Amino acid sequence: MSEMSTEHTRPTDPVGRVLYQVSKWLAIFGGVVLSAMAILTSVSVFGRSVLQQPVPGDFELVAIGTGISVFAFLPWCQIVRGNVLVDFFMSTAPVRARIFGDVVGGILYLAIAALLTWRMIFGGLDMYYYNELSMTINFPRWTTFPISIAMLGFLTIVIAYTIGRSIAEMRAGRYLDKPDTPA
Amino acid sequence: MSGLEIGLTGFGVMLVLLALRIPIGVAMLTVGMAGYVTIAGENALFSYLKTETYWRFTAETLSVVPLFLLMGQFAAKAGLSQALFAAAYTWLGHHRGGIAMAAIGGCAGFGAISGSSLATSATMGQVALPELKRFNYSGALATGSLAAGGTLGILIPPSVVLIIYAVMVEANVATLFQAAFIPGILAALGYIAVIAIVVRVNPEAGPAGERATRAQKWAALLEIWPVLIIFVLVMGGIYFGIFTPTEGAGVGAFGTFLIAITRGGMRVNGFIEALLGTAQTTAMIFLILLGAAIFNAFLGFSQLPITAADFFGNSGLSPYTILFGMIALFIVLGFVMDSLSMIFLTIPIFWPIIAALDFGMSPDEAKLWFGIIALIVVEMGLITPPVGLNVFIINSMAKDVPMIETFKGVIPFFASDIIRVGVLIAFPTITLILPRLLA
Repeated sequence: MSEMSTEHTRPTDPVGRVLYQVSKWLAIFGGVVLSAMAILTSVSVFGRSVLQQPVPGDFELVAIGTGISVFAFLPWCQIVRGNVLVDFFMSTAPVRARIFGDVVGGILYLAIAALLTWRMIFGGLDMYYYNELSMTINFPRWTTFPISIAMLGFLTIVIAYTIGRSIAEMRAGRYLDKPDTPA
Repeated sequence: MSGLEIGLTGFGVMLVLLALRIPIGVAMLTVGMAGYVTIAGENALFSYLKTETYWRFTAETLSVVPLFLLMGQFAAKAGLSQALFAAAYTWLGHHRGGIAMAAIGGCAGFGAISGSSLATSATMGQVALPELKRFNYSGALATGSLAAGGTLGILIPPSVVLIIYAVMVEANVATLFQAAFIPGILAALGYIAVIAIVVRVNPEAGPAGERATRAQKWAALLEIWPVLIIFVLVMGGIYFGIFTPTEGAGVGAFGTFLIAITRGGMRVNGFIEALLGTAQTTAMIFLILLGAAIFNAFLGFSQLPITAADFFGNSGLSPYTILFGMIALFIVLGFVMDSLSMIFLTIPIFWPIIAALDFGMSPDEAKLWFGIIALIVVEMGLITPPVGLNVFIINSMAKDVPMIETFKGVIPFFASDIIRVGVLIAFPTITLILPRLLA
């Protein structure tokens, strides 16, 4: 797993630097939401065991909150090349061939992210028109769709950028932001 | 083409994409969507995708994953690895090979509050490697025991891989954590036994350390109270059903956060590092989870899992032959891919096959038993060449030890893994007794 990749790749061009900063702050925002969910859970457990009074609908709130975090985390993972892949078969291939795989993967991911963003807009509209509510606390489910769709849209932009970066790297025959050796 | 042929073709295409270094989540999404359209048509897919992303990322069964990852990040910043190693050292250090044994003990302790093997290897490596070097331990034994010890991070609950398995086979996470406990302890004891045998054969490899007084021993144990409290609170609470795994993870994340601030000296920068680390791993896992959902919906349409289960069920092969075949395949896959990817790729096919076979236990118990066996075997991939990630991490920290020495060093630990898997297969009670007692 790539959870320990210590050398964070950092773009050096102006567009990349902006996208990197936005992705980073989005990820921090998601992390703060997630931390808030940890606190909410702790308060609820404490309330239930000591005061016999849990936070109502805590499961739903935590699930909805962590959902927002996950959307916020995706662009960061993409821009720091955090997605896990099988390096074995290409580990001895020339660096251009390896980067070609990045380009193909990027194009597939771009199409998928764009499709998911597009479809989720209609999912959000459905949730709004049918006024779908969460089970316990009647939280209107459509309310988190706009921000989630915006973050998926931003992910699509970040993927487009990383494809451009990979193509530039194919031309240069080397990685622009990290050493050539397999991670 | 029949559904089955489309299913098999999809699997083949996905393996090609993986070989081309396409991220596994993207490969599963691509093949899953293409297969879905082929079998059910594009309108069905478009309608399915309207809310699938939302429901997948907002599933109550999955919010436990980022919370445990956050807890692990804070635990790594809590300055506990030093205290854990020191405590294990006062109790085990005076034996021959005692410093390596202490490293295993420290890994086991860290594994009890962290669900990640790589983090366990890395944090314990920083603390234990200098000591192992000071006592002139052979490079193979020093790095081998730390690389193997790191797998305790996953084998001893909490364990992210086990949560993912639970989601895929619709098992109860708490029960799986119960089932993993005794096998996890056996793993640690097995590694300590390996060290004892290695230094008996070759006493030069691992000399004894200093003997601690009884007072020192208890003082050292007192130093690790935060680990004990977190473990008892989180895992105890989950084991005894006082709260759900998600609640346990939330409480654990909050608790390790407090310890990281007060003891580990975590400040704003450390906090942000922890959040970004959580972000990267969470996003990586959830992209695969989304891919696996769509890929498995497609596999379900294609009838491939049911057909495979029927085929093996009627093949006349003994259930154990099939199980050993799966284990062999896990070990082979472990040479080329990481544990989480293996679970995602194989369980949707393997579990229906196992469920259809008779191992002399109820399907619910087979779920637990097979999960623990699969967990151990996929984790062996972390210490086998050529891409054993634990080995790479430890080896990069021990600059003077050649990679080949580290791989030689893990061989006896690998052997103990194989023996343990055999024992757990022969005696399912070892795995099942705790869930039975706590049910």
